[in-house]
Amino acid sequence: MSTGSFDRFLTGVDRDGALAETRARAETTTRRGLLGWTLAGAGTLVLARTADARAAGLSASDVDILNYALVLEYLQASFYTEAERSGALTGKTAEAARVVGATERAHVKAFLDLLKSQAVKRPTFDFQGTTEQQQPFLKTAVALEDLAVAAYKGQAPKLKSNAVLAAAVGIHSVEARHAAWMRALFGVTPAVNAFDKPASRSSINRVVVSTHFIVSKPHMKARKKPSFTG
Amino acid sequence: MRSAVREIEHCVRESSDGSFSRRALIGAGALGALASVPLAGRMFRLGDALGSPSKAQDVKILQLVLRVEYTQVAFYSQALAHGALKGELRDFARTALAHERQHLTAIRNALGAKAGAKPTFDFGARIRSPKAFMRAAIDLEDTAVAGYNGQAANLTKGTLAVAAEIVSVEARHAAWVRAIAGEVAAPDAVDQPMTAQQAASGLHALGVSS
Repeated sequence: MSTGSFDRFLTGVDRDGALAETRARAETTTRRGLLGWTLAGAGTLVLARTADARAAGLSASDVDILNYALVLEYLQASFYTEAERSGALTGKTAEAARVVGATERAHVKAFLDLLKSQAVKRPTFDFQGTTEQQQPFLKTAVALEDLAVAAYKGQAPKLKSNAVLAAAVGIHSVEARHAAWMRALFGVTPAVNAFDKPASRSSINRVVVSTHFIVSKPHMKARKKPSFTG
Repeated sequence: MRSAVREIEHCVRESSDGSFSRRALIGAGALGALASVPLAGRMFRLGDALGSPSKAQDVKILQLVLRVEYTQVAFYSQALAHGALKGELRDFARTALAHERQHLTAIRNALGAKAGAKPTFDFGARIRSPKAFMRAAIDLEDTAVAGYNGQAANLTKGTLAVAAEIVSVEARHAAWVRAIAGEVAAPDAVDQPMTAQQAASGLHALGVSS
């Protein structure tokens, strides 16, 4: 997992080392992250459901990108929901987690509405204990939000449908607000550079897989009680 | 000040075809209700519907962007020069100014000889009182975000990619100053776009004229 390009990417996105730390912790386990499977699965779904996609007026490539975004939104929504339920967060951080979590769940709902039957199912997550303590939570939140900003930015110019583009840009800047908010709460500069750089799908995938936050292939249950690991 | 921008937003909502925003539905303060509000695909809107993207159209759009960046540079530099900002608020203004200067340079270089003239500014109390400064900074950064987002479909893909690198930094600034002001730093689930006209009106309301 620890290739040169991965580390360069991680340095660029994960300035505070949360994902790197999580990766180091996760690598001691035998679990294997399945985001790669999930995203490959999205591609298969697209092939299988080209007729559906045409019927919904979305190009196959837009459906593919939407499903990629949906997985990232599932990841974020589940992270905040689990942190909220853990009861470990206090003060302004608890309030921010509540607001941001509700927003990420709204993003999931919006993509499900756009994708309908073409949506990938929610994977199962294990946040490796990061939702059960305030500082690890904030560090991971910063990393996940910065990652989402870079991910949306990388995909927006590739979208074909203006309706999907409207969704992507309107959510992209909200993720940037979240990133700045979590950074302020964590005590690091909310806006580091004058230009936020995009990240490719493969780079994002490598980082997310390395966290081992996604632990099982998607299943049909809409809701799952969080399993605490700490 | 904020009410002027909100008025514009309100008009946008009233005139838009069935689109709505979470804030319009539940009001800015009712965050507790956020989770239960359905966020349908139909709420996503674009700004202006211009012609197909082209280099010539990019130039027209970048003129508005140039005005936004000129305004931000002038606003932060005048506020810092006045000296009323202290502590974290001053740190914010310094960092934002450094970013906006880089944005301005990038947009001006992209436009070259076609770059429009620098507007004139009368920020009034917004650069003298920390409280008024925070309010104006939030409005200005939100206007920048909405203005950029509103042009996403009108830009060529190459210019869109550059705009996307800038717009998220403006969004970070908006959240940062909201956090300093003790407000909810990301009040909406989706950032609603502005048309070019709405963004220009937003700048005018903040003391910008040609």
